[in-house]
Amino acid sequence: MRTSLLAPIACGALLFTACKKESTSPTGDTSTPVTTSQILQGFAANIADANYTDLADKTSTLKDLISTFNAAPTDADLDACRTAWRNARNAWEQSEACLFGPVSSDNIDPRIDTWPVNFTDLEAQLAGGSTFDAAYINGLEDALKGFHPIEYLLWGQNGTKTAAQFTPREHEYLLALSVNLKDLTAELHTTWDTEASGYHQTFTTAGAGNVVYPTQRAAFEELVNAMAGICDEVANGKIGEPFTLQDPSLEESPYSGNSMTDFRNNMRGVENVYLGRYATDGAALEDLVREHDLQLDASVKQHIAAAKQALDNVTLPFGEAITSQPVQVQNAIDAINALAVVLEDELMPFVQLHTN
Amino acid sequence: MMRVRGPGMRAVRWMLVGTVVTLLSACVKEPAPWDDTPNNDVWFAGGTQTVFDQGSGAYSQAFPGLTAAELAIHGTGDMAFEATFVSAPSPVNPGLGPIFNSVSCANCHIADGRGRPPVPGEQPVSTLIRISVPGSDAHGGPTPVPGFGGQLQHRSIFGTTPEALVNTNYLEEPSTFADGTTYSLRRPAITLSAAYTPLPVDLMMSTRLAPPVFGLGLLEAIPEVDVRALADPGDADGDGISGRANNVWDHLDQRYTLGRFGWKAGQPTLLQQSAGAYVEDMGITSFLFPQESSAGQPQHDGTNDEPEVSDSLLYAVAFYVRTLAVPARRAIDDPQVVRGQELFVNAGCDRCHVPEHRTGVNVAFPSVSNQRIFPYTDLLLHDMGPELADGRPEFDADGTEWRTPALWGIGLSQTVNGHQYFLHDGRARDLSEAILWHGGEAETSRERFRTMTASERAALLAFLASL
Repeated sequence: MRTSLLAPIACGALLFTACKKESTSPTGDTSTPVTTSQILQGFAANIADANYTDLADKTSTLKDLISTFNAAPTDADLDACRTAWRNARNAWEQSEACLFGPVSSDNIDPRIDTWPVNFTDLEAQLAGGSTFDAAYINGLEDALKGFHPIEYLLWGQNGTKTAAQFTPREHEYLLALSVNLKDLTAELHTTWDTEASGYHQTFTTAGAGNVVYPTQRAAFEELVNAMAGICDEVANGKIGEPFTLQDPSLEESPYSGNSMTDFRNNMRGVENVYLGRYATDGAALEDLVREHDLQLDASVKQHIAAAKQALDNVTLPFGEAITSQPVQVQNAIDAINALAVVLEDELMPFVQLHTN
Repeated sequence: MMRVRGPGMRAVRWMLVGTVVTLLSACVKEPAPWDDTPNNDVWFAGGTQTVFDQGSGAYSQAFPGLTAAELAIHGTGDMAFEATFVSAPSPVNPGLGPIFNSVSCANCHIADGRGRPPVPGEQPVSTLIRISVPGSDAHGGPTPVPGFGGQLQHRSIFGTTPEALVNTNYLEEPSTFADGTTYSLRRPAITLSAAYTPLPVDLMMSTRLAPPVFGLGLLEAIPEVDVRALADPGDADGDGISGRANNVWDHLDQRYTLGRFGWKAGQPTLLQQSAGAYVEDMGITSFLFPQESSAGQPQHDGTNDEPEVSDSLLYAVAFYVRTLAVPARRAIDDPQVVRGQELFVNAGCDRCHVPEHRTGVNVAFPSVSNQRIFPYTDLLLHDMGPELADGRPEFDADGTEWRTPALWGIGLSQTVNGHQYFLHDGRARDLSEAILWHGGEAETSRERFRTMTASERAALLAFLASL
């Protein structure tokens, strides 16, 4: 049904925009015109580059703090490592609202965020005698490296680990994993950090002659699909699966109890892409929408706010909430799915109509 | 496929265009009429199961219009497709290995798309190697290698030895187009090392790249009789192109039937394809293949936890790939694309990459029923010449034959997967190289391409990019 509706819309868009040079729009408060090219540039600089810079910085800090912790293990230093892990996690989860490009095609996502942890092999690694150098860690299975094995080591199975409980092998493995995570996030950052090369260039030069995005419309569709995609993943995967099966073992960040924060950051990521704001604010989808359709702009913002509020209404740790706060959890799923519908059924046709 | 429209239709079309031109008279350039193609249906590569997504998620969309219940099964299969398996025992997704090629479906079929070949010095990440010795098994399939089976598992869980490691190298072979433009093809040289026990001297190997998994439900729905009707095993029409059906063993129905899936059409159904990948690629057993790939080998852990994937989950995964939609074509009315399509036909590419099919009527599953689709394949085996030959038979497919792969969606490869590695082992680095590797029955077509002018080649490639 959607197919038969969309085709005429797409064709209509072709007809009516074929002679437009570029859409222009005023930003929210000023009357400075914003072009579609500026919006793509704004995304690359203010979201992708900024978010991955932050992620690389935070994983670097995590690695440094783990070094400090390893040198003289104290509970205070362990807490500092845990906070650093959460901070890095915040940046990563926000970036999940734009999971396209090298993060996906270069297989970086599975190497830093595979779930679940392979406990059996992880314990075997710790019990074994291998030297945990960079090459060895790099060659490990994805389920033995990245955020979640680090989380497992920092918090322990029940989240109650103390500094004194760390074995020498755990210290060694933890540090090697943090180096690996730092390197992979740095690699990810380099794919977006230079305007004149890499995916930054690929994305911002969308249009004729670009193999990946032969039109600007394709790049705009990519943004909206990415936003809608993370909503679907959070509502129906990350929250929906453990909730439907009433199985807390399916929770994504169980040792740190960070799952609800993960979800909130995913929604913040959607908001970031729409507003064009991470560290700094710039040209974004919002500007294009506000030029033509204030009602749609209000609707997108209301739905984002509603999704965030619904997540805030879940007050227990996620693993408990799926059994003890089922109404709140279901409301969160519904609110996030409602946002996905607005993105897919309203924002998508909008960008298809207003880009070439 | 090229259907001539009646004059009545044409008149209506020009009236429409006239209106548009009047409306947009300020435009310098007249926009292309929206139906400036012989047939509008060709935009809808997957019939009504076409999606208008040209981004990195283009291969990952569900059929439009699935019922809520069907969408739930698709979603369950989607989760299972992405699920990472780990060593047993584990509370979540246990059962990996003990020997395997990958830890999840999605790890090779990245974004439901194509895997990539290893770079020299790297172990395979989304390719695998099928192995056998001469002869055939009880059902006419390849004979497993004693101590190794029919597929080489180059990875293992901790404490277990993989069957062997894979060493990949490429040899550059420079050549020229007829107009003097140079190109270079790279020929893979694959060797095995560190085998846990000696490999037989008569070992046959075939490298396989993980292919895209969208649109397969529609290919599964093409009536067997229609596929067989395209076959011309003795080349009776003398056009130099034979086309043979593979006949393979269906483990569920316990009978021989048409092979449709895999690089040599060795699998008859998506259910069997999925179950086969579970057990061989990941070491995950199912009701269809309850025996571990390592059975009878020292790597086998001897545990009795089969099947490791439940029947319902296996059916859900098969349903997931069955209901992945096909991306719509793009830029069909671009003059270069139109020209490229003519060249594609003139060069005879469409003799094997048959553009159009009609799926059978299926009252039980209306989504794939009676669809006009444009996959650009005949699902048949063709001799592709000695350059591409793997020398390893698979049921009725001999060592030089490959099944025509579908071309739909191929223009989005760079967007979805970030690379353009094509053919069964990913040796081709773009579509031009993929064409230039064609030999055997496709040699004439390849030569037509090689002798084209630069602008003709560009047009042909622009046409492929629009698929």
